[in-house]
Amino acid sequence: MTAAVDAIPVQLTDVVKRYGRRTVLAGVSLEVQPGITGLVGPNGAGKSTLVRSMLGLVRLAEGEARVFGHDPYRQPRRVRELVGVVPEDECSIPGLSGVEMVRYAARLSGLPATEALRRAHEVLDWCDAGQERYRPVETLSVGTRQKVSFAAAIVHDPPMIILDEPTNGLDPIERRAMLGRLTTLARNHGKTIFVSTHVLPDVQAICDRVIVLARGQVRLAGSIADLTRPPSPVHHLTGTGPLDRLVSELAARGLPATLATGETGPLLAVASPQPEQVAAVWAAAASAGVAIRSFAPARRPLEQVFLETLRQAELETNVDRPFGSQSGGAHALA
Amino acid sequence: MPLHDVGYRAWNSQRCGPTATVWVIAVTGFRLAWESRWLRRMVFFAWSPALIFAASFFAFEQAVDEGRLMSLGEAAERGKNLDGVGMLGTVLADALGGDPDSVDIESTRRLVWTRLLLAFMRAPQALLLAAVVGLVAPTLISRDLRAKAWLVYFTRPVGRREYILGKAVILLLLVLAITMLPALALWLMGVLVSPSLAVALETWDLPLRVMVASLALAIPTVLLALAYSSLTAESRIASFAWFATWVALWIAHGALTTADLVASIRAEEQAAAVATGAEVGEVWAGEGSPPQFQRRPEARPSPFRRQFRWLARATGIDTSLDRWAWVSPYHSLGVMQAAIFGIDRRIRSWGPPAVTLLVITAGSLVVLAWRVTAPARG
Repeated sequence: MTAAVDAIPVQLTDVVKRYGRRTVLAGVSLEVQPGITGLVGPNGAGKSTLVRSMLGLVRLAEGEARVFGHDPYRQPRRVRELVGVVPEDECSIPGLSGVEMVRYAARLSGLPATEALRRAHEVLDWCDAGQERYRPVETLSVGTRQKVSFAAAIVHDPPMIILDEPTNGLDPIERRAMLGRLTTLARNHGKTIFVSTHVLPDVQAICDRVIVLARGQVRLAGSIADLTRPPSPVHHLTGTGPLDRLVSELAARGLPATLATGETGPLLAVASPQPEQVAAVWAAAASAGVAIRSFAPARRPLEQVFLETLRQAELETNVDRPFGSQSGGAHALA
Repeated sequence: MPLHDVGYRAWNSQRCGPTATVWVIAVTGFRLAWESRWLRRMVFFAWSPALIFAASFFAFEQAVDEGRLMSLGEAAERGKNLDGVGMLGTVLADALGGDPDSVDIESTRRLVWTRLLLAFMRAPQALLLAAVVGLVAPTLISRDLRAKAWLVYFTRPVGRREYILGKAVILLLLVLAITMLPALALWLMGVLVSPSLAVALETWDLPLRVMVASLALAIPTVLLALAYSSLTAESRIASFAWFATWVALWIAHGALTTADLVASIRAEEQAAAVATGAEVGEVWAGEGSPPQFQRRPEARPSPFRRQFRWLARATGIDTSLDRWAWVSPYHSLGVMQAAIFGIDRRIRSWGPPAVTLLVITAGSLVVLAWRVTAPARG
């Protein structure tokens, strides 16, 4: 297994998938590297089909897919041993309790009977499922069901976990806990996490990389840090005290700054200083009587990047489309 | 955080193979199905016909032990119901063939046991099987489609083959529990109540025939039921299709057989009329009463056979060719079982029903293979 796990987790090359005349994936090429990768896109972008193609559930019209070096369509058993999936759709076997459901998933993944039960309890404990685990799955709350589903996906300790809308229906505390578990698995246990979601703040919070899929094509892919970097390098400074005086102090030291309003209050947008200029910022703040709370490179919200990408995709599509044809998907840009 | 929470730990050990997966699906599915009170009642009830047949085995072996076989046969010939249901009497009368001097106990026992076992598996058990399978099978795949539980299977190392086999084994276990097990228990009881345990050696092939006949009964029915279940997310529709298939084709078979019977009677009447020089349909204008139609003795069924012709066919008493058996799964299965028990080995008897059952089996497999992964394919 080690050799397989050492390979690149997911490699798709010019993947095309059609349902009848409709092309759902139109030449998708991407790589999913170890760490946490987010897949975002509007409804109907082809995210679910992309995930299905990674699992070998659909036959590709063209192109090549490799998961840990294996062809998912020809070696589905091998691939699914290496992958755990949390589907978006609520799926359970009515009549089984939470722990039985996880144990069943473990058995289906090849764990021996006693080991499956032990492991099921272990991961349910880690997911903080509590005594709810003994209730039939169909009677569980959405949050607990999501925990059971997540536990069932990781019970066989796969090197890669694919999650489709993992925070759907979770309250803020549970949502935070779920994101924490994903981060732990990626950072402490070396798992590759692939999250397909609409919740962009979640992606920005935990993902290392993001892939934007629209109209069956990869429109944007890269690290979150690179994609959210503003066009001109700027640092954001927040603090308490007379920020307007700080603007003039900074200007006097050759560091242009403007007063702006951030999500949490007023802030200063300072042209990113050279490393040797950072001390000057602190000196200016001291002389202006401002206590700095934070001073960090500015980031554009991922949502802004996402919307710009979709707008660009829409424009490209309209250019390609004959005059007068209907513009489907425009609602996504509204 | 609970005290027993040890955090996330890696797991890397030897995994089980696909055979274990089939067994896991089967055992879990069986356990879930067994939670139905109705199913437990049905299976319990399905064993009750065995008691009646056990009485027949006991009466026969008692008669052999006490040397009353001839009187038993003579009484049977007179049409008396020796075991209260007439089954043993009729079977025995047919077995002895009205020649009391040439009775061989061993061959008579084999014939009687074979026909009793066939009648048991054919008449009550095949009908109960339809009911039990109709209760369990429709939900097996349709519920997975409805609850999207197919994702539980096909996002894990489970292939179509393991999934279908696992579901089929759930039904096979049930079917064998109500056909094979009671039939084997009957044979064992017959051995235990017989004068000598050497009877087990004389009839060693019967348990094997029971097993083969049970599988011949189980495989097409189980696959057909699963195929119906895979075609819809509504188990009620699958249930309806299942029962409708049995009933509608039974009625079709009955209609075709009756039409044949009427045609043959007309042909015989015509032949009789030709023999007496009268035109068919001609009004008798002679003196005295019109000539009576005389049917050949072997063509005239006994009252028992007329009333329960399907049962007579089931027991192998009536071995006349059922040329429409292939129309109905129930009758096809009966003809196949009769062939397996060695009662009617004519290929023109079991050939067409065998083709029907093969078509059902192959068609069901194709439907299953196509349907079970259909949701995953989008």
